[in-house]
Amino acid sequence: MTDPMLEFTPSRGFSMGVELELQILNSRDYNLARDAADLLGLLEKNPHPGAVKPEITESMIEVNTSIHHRHETLVAELMRIRDTVAEAAGRLNLRIAGGGSHPFHTWTDRRIYPTDRFKHILEVYGYLAKQFTIFGQHVHIGCPDGDAALYLIHALSRYVPHFIALSASSPFQQGEDTSYHSSRLNTVSAFPLSGQTPFVHAWGEFINYFNKMRGFGIVESMKDFYWDIRPKPEYGTVEIRVFDTPLTVERAAVLAAYAQSLARYLLLERPLTPLRDVYLLYSHNRFQACRYGLDGTLVDAYSQRHVGIRGDVLDMLKVIAPHAAELGATAALGQLADDIAAGRDDAAWLREQYKSRGSLNDVARMQSELWMGNALTPA
Amino acid sequence: MSAFNFLPSFPLPPNLVLLFGLLLLAGFAGGELVQRMLRLPRITGYVLVGLVLGASGFGVIDKRLAGEAQMFVNIGLGIILFELGRRLDFGWLRRDRWFAATALAESALSFFCMYGALAYFGIHPLHATVAAAIGVATSPAVVMLVAQELRAEGQVTERALNLVAINSVAAFVLATTLLSWLHHEYRASWITMVSHPVYLLGGSLLIGYLASGAAILLARWIGKREELQLVMLLGMIVLAVGCADALNLSVMLSLLAFGVASRNLDRNHDLMQVNIGHIGQIFFVVLFVVTGAILNVNDFITGGAIAMVYILARFVGKAIGVLSLAHFSGIRPGSGGLLCLALTPMSGLAIEMMHGTTSLYPEFGAKLAPIVLSAVLLLELIGPVAVQFALRTAGEAQEESK
Repeated sequence: MTDPMLEFTPSRGFSMGVELELQILNSRDYNLARDAADLLGLLEKNPHPGAVKPEITESMIEVNTSIHHRHETLVAELMRIRDTVAEAAGRLNLRIAGGGSHPFHTWTDRRIYPTDRFKHILEVYGYLAKQFTIFGQHVHIGCPDGDAALYLIHALSRYVPHFIALSASSPFQQGEDTSYHSSRLNTVSAFPLSGQTPFVHAWGEFINYFNKMRGFGIVESMKDFYWDIRPKPEYGTVEIRVFDTPLTVERAAVLAAYAQSLARYLLLERPLTPLRDVYLLYSHNRFQACRYGLDGTLVDAYSQRHVGIRGDVLDMLKVIAPHAAELGATAALGQLADDIAAGRDDAAWLREQYKSRGSLNDVARMQSELWMGNALTPA
Repeated sequence: MSAFNFLPSFPLPPNLVLLFGLLLLAGFAGGELVQRMLRLPRITGYVLVGLVLGASGFGVIDKRLAGEAQMFVNIGLGIILFELGRRLDFGWLRRDRWFAATALAESALSFFCMYGALAYFGIHPLHATVAAAIGVATSPAVVMLVAQELRAEGQVTERALNLVAINSVAAFVLATTLLSWLHHEYRASWITMVSHPVYLLGGSLLIGYLASGAAILLARWIGKREELQLVMLLGMIVLAVGCADALNLSVMLSLLAFGVASRNLDRNHDLMQVNIGHIGQIFFVVLFVVTGAILNVNDFITGGAIAMVYILARFVGKAIGVLSLAHFSGIRPGSGGLLCLALTPMSGLAIEMMHGTTSLYPEFGAKLAPIVLSAVLLLELIGPVAVQFALRTAGEAQEESK
């Protein structure tokens, strides 16, 4: 009697996959462009790695990788996707950029990509749909069954500030420095179905919850929940959605490797018992990470102590090192530790560029040059 | 003297400021009427007002007044050509070589089609060649202003503007080179034959190059201050227009070169993408009113038939050029046809080019006028509508705000 839509497809061996929402810019003033349809059309003409899809407004595209088990194959595929997308964008004189927000576009200029689903979202959420022109990275981690997925979701919730602080790349919005490292998540919070997965532990309970919500007529599918971490039963994965899209695909792959190693540690060692208190502190910790990035402070529900996010991440990198080694992610996480130690992160990079150039148009341009790599230099 | 010697004497002596204000307001009113009542582009309204006030209508704007207003026309065209030049991106042409090929094919085929059609109907080869050269150019003013009015953005808009920039350059170079033939026909010395085109092309390009160099240096000094860069660029544009005019060079080629160079030589990205179009609007209105005033419906009556041939051949040439290569270039099916439509307008640019080529030999101009000017008359009215249709159909216009 269970809905096939909610049946949890088992995944093996801590598989991972990445989705990136990307910015399409024009090449004159580097504002957001509206050429998603042309870009998708051009990409479809030729075979390309991964999948490319439209997103809510005409200024965005989403790229998906296939399923990976190791960081090195993931980053290789991401680089191939990047080169293909960048080359196609170059032919249309467009630019593609990473980053969680566009620094200066005005949301009133945005137009909804004309599919039934997106039109429906505009109808339901009004202006929020256009403000939803923000860019996230979603990381899927494969789980053996639904119960494990729910355990992983509750355990990972403790580490959500890590993901936010490590990926934060949306300090500017609508032409202003927001003072946040990640301003993107504030936009997500406006949606009524955002938030966290309910505190249930068995997949059966989750199905009951979902059916109840569907019975109320609030949701039709899992897609209607905009939770920070949500189960994706048809893929057999847990989907972490709090990452800002990093400025480079290399960084995106490193962040995925971090999530994968952490998940392996949590699922195999089961070091944490799911705790309601994690959700009591959740909004506070999430805010700290958004506002201050790695310099923020989180309250650990387990030790009941205040800890700096930077130190907490560095500690965790040591704890999960054996799992990273098993997954072939030692080098990637070493890179991450070096970046943290050196204070290199995307939000800081964006602010530095603004300080040196004095123009957000230049920031957007440099953002796109960083993401596209060599695609713009003539052959 | 009389007790009222403080009063002005009638008729009032010509006053440029007064003329400017009148043209601006009359054009503005016409544009709004046409936009609100017929949902046509405002430009069509400006031109209609010009026709009513000008030689074809009540004759309020006679040749002398139109001559006085030439200064505003030059500034308006200067701003437009500068902006157009800034759209021309050599990097794009390198990355999408099929698009570069489209630009060349479109210019070349329309030239040969027009020449062939005119020659077939017995037009003297020299006239046919000059008319064909002028016809290669699409009106930058019409395409830019309609795009600006619709706030259009997208592949058709961007490609149309780049094609216009390229075909304008092609038309200039062709028409200027043809001056040699013209001088030869009228038995000028060979020194004139050679030096005139060289002076025009070289001098105009040099002005554009120097202006862009100065603008980039000034922008570096000013820093990223949008309002300051706007004033600086406007000043530089007017200065370049003045220099070109004073030195008998081509205002249009100078400003186009200025735009292209400031886009492609600004390696440090010192110049900001300021919106000159909004301020330029007041000159654009006057530009179109004056263009309408210069055009004479009588030309159309004498030259209408051959002008239709000319227009048709031009469209066919451009269409074959664009459509044959559209598939290879990175655009959606259907966009090619819309691009062809967007290339139809002819306007003040063609008039200026005609005057530029014929000012030394008025009798030659008199023979060319019926063909070129009647085509301009027709395309000045239809062109904006075609561009508006193309950009709307392509889905690149913003929803109009109330």
